[in-house]
Amino acid sequence: MVAVAQHPNIKMYTYAEIEAVSGYIGNFTVTIRRKAKYVDWDKCNGCGTCETKCPSKNIKNEFDLGLGTRTAIHKAFPQAVPNKPVIDAENCRKFKTGKCGVCEKICPTKAINFEDKDELVTENVGAIVMATGFDLFDWTETYGEYGYGRFPDVVSGLHFERLVNASGPTGGKIKRPSDGRIPESVAFIKCVGSRDDTKGKTYCSRACCMYTAKHAMQVKEKIPGSEAYVFYMDVRTAGKNYEEFYQRGVNAGVKYIRGRVSKIYPRGDKLVLKSEDTLLGRPIEVEVDMVVLATAMVPARGSAELAKLVGFSTDKDGFFQEAHPKLQPVETFTGGVYLAGACQGPKDIPDTVAQASAAAVKVCGLFSKPELATQPMVSEVEAGKCSGCEFCVPICPYKAITMKAIQERGHGGVIERRVATVNEGLCQGCGACVGACRSGALNLKGFTDEQIVAEVDALCL
Amino acid sequence: MKRVGVFVCDCGTNIAAVVDTERVAREATEMPGVVFATTYKYMCSDPGQDLIKKAIREHNLQQVVVASCSPRMHENTFRKAIADVGLNPYLFEMVNIREQDSWVHADKEQATRKASDLVRMAVFKVLKNKPLQTGTIPITKRALVVGAGIAGMQSALDIAEAGYEVVLVDREATIGGRMVQLDKTFPTLDCSA
Repeated sequence: MVAVAQHPNIKMYTYAEIEAVSGYIGNFTVTIRRKAKYVDWDKCNGCGTCETKCPSKNIKNEFDLGLGTRTAIHKAFPQAVPNKPVIDAENCRKFKTGKCGVCEKICPTKAINFEDKDELVTENVGAIVMATGFDLFDWTETYGEYGYGRFPDVVSGLHFERLVNASGPTGGKIKRPSDGRIPESVAFIKCVGSRDDTKGKTYCSRACCMYTAKHAMQVKEKIPGSEAYVFYMDVRTAGKNYEEFYQRGVNAGVKYIRGRVSKIYPRGDKLVLKSEDTLLGRPIEVEVDMVVLATAMVPARGSAELAKLVGFSTDKDGFFQEAHPKLQPVETFTGGVYLAGACQGPKDIPDTVAQASAAAVKVCGLFSKPELATQPMVSEVEAGKCSGCEFCVPICPYKAITMKAIQERGHGGVIERRVATVNEGLCQGCGACVGACRSGALNLKGFTDEQIVAEVDALCL
Repeated sequence: MKRVGVFVCDCGTNIAAVVDTERVAREATEMPGVVFATTYKYMCSDPGQDLIKKAIREHNLQQVVVASCSPRMHENTFRKAIADVGLNPYLFEMVNIREQDSWVHADKEQATRKASDLVRMAVFKVLKNKPLQTGTIPITKRALVVGAGIAGMQSALDIAEAGYEVVLVDREATIGGRMVQLDKTFPTLDCSA
């Protein structure tokens, strides 16, 4: 992270979103919205005094998935990069009541600015790498048998990561969210939302088998004498050293039970899991202190809108669509737009890093050429035939058609009229405009009406 | 009339097991403009491409039709091959008799007839093909990376290390994404932050 922040060739815009993208491969213009932070990061030295004095406390910390609390002026976590805070206006007392401004008074560098506004900046780039990652499937909406999120000690794998993380809300101690007690037994349920076409997603989320093995091992390691149960459909360990890692867990005493948990219900302060052990072929019941669900990866919120904005397609599950599943896994159908990581489909870290480097190489490959050859099979307008109806303009999915004024001789003088014109850099040769053109002025080079008619003749005559 | 050459690919047995490629080539010689037609086991291979190049020179071909797989596979391969011997690469048509014929049909007679029909369409079309020229557009040598998780950071660093400027955007106030929320990571159990 620090390497990224300090790299002279990298310009970071954090707390910022893509507002608009126009242009085409080699020549994109991107508008970026820098959201109001209410802290002047040029002045702020990251001392953190404001966070300690902010009276708007006990706000659920999103970074810890609500397991910990934060103040209104806050950094996501102590090692944040850049190590500067933002004010969450929704929860800030100054914004809510107009009174407060404690942070402003105590800030030693006078960095607080309650007047801060969103700012739009424009950047010109030649290539775009999409790396927007994933969110976790919201199991609380659908999995009634696991309590719809009513039991505080049934958490997701990411919650568990925060609990076991030394910089997390418990300082790395695995504690039950309900009473802070260290659990003596933890059950893990895999494929919650994954491989479940009735309630969740049809696909396998790929990373869960391995992180569940890791979690179970961490339970065994951090809590002496504890029990860890893993309920699974299959154990998928297709990766270098993955099977060995899983075996380590089994050898450490993690109990793997093949079966889907059909119900979780409380008994005293414990949770009871009802399942079937399909290897034994009989129903079983396990009583534990805590349950961790390996929930499916889904596209990050806002992915679909972003894909539309940048101008490429998504697949049936909302992940970004690669140009070819085997041969072009990093490209999109839009020239100059590449994919990296879980935005293209569920992935673990080694695969993500590999794809990210692959995307980088694609970008560098593009940049290594002095200029870009365009494919010549693009639309062209025969200006004399164009009636200027503008039907083709909204039809074009690549915004390649605009209208221009031309001057023509006629009726004993010169008349000016508007005709369509095609930007050859933007045109992808899809032919949508040709079909829409009522006056026959548009033709796709290499697929002219004359050529298509010849083909039809060949078949019919 | 322009001089057309037709090259029918067996694709090992991918095409030849269902389509009688010899017959397709034979029937092609009856089509308007066709002065040469032949088959070969793998038209995309080096010897296959050499065969096309040699035929262009020997028979003074002006237009080329290759009946083989999907143009997504080898259109560029064949365009380059014919450009090597001085033909405009767009005086070329590719006919997909694999994905759209041999792979989806079982009846040899009908599949062969379909292949012949597809080749005839391409021959009629290629006679109307005109030389096309590629243009050039400038490239802005800066990249945008959207998302600063492990994927975005890795991409940004690699591109930046190669000497190009990168604009890295994340909607959160900090970079790191999901990765920094994690504790240790498999299979090496090293720290993720």
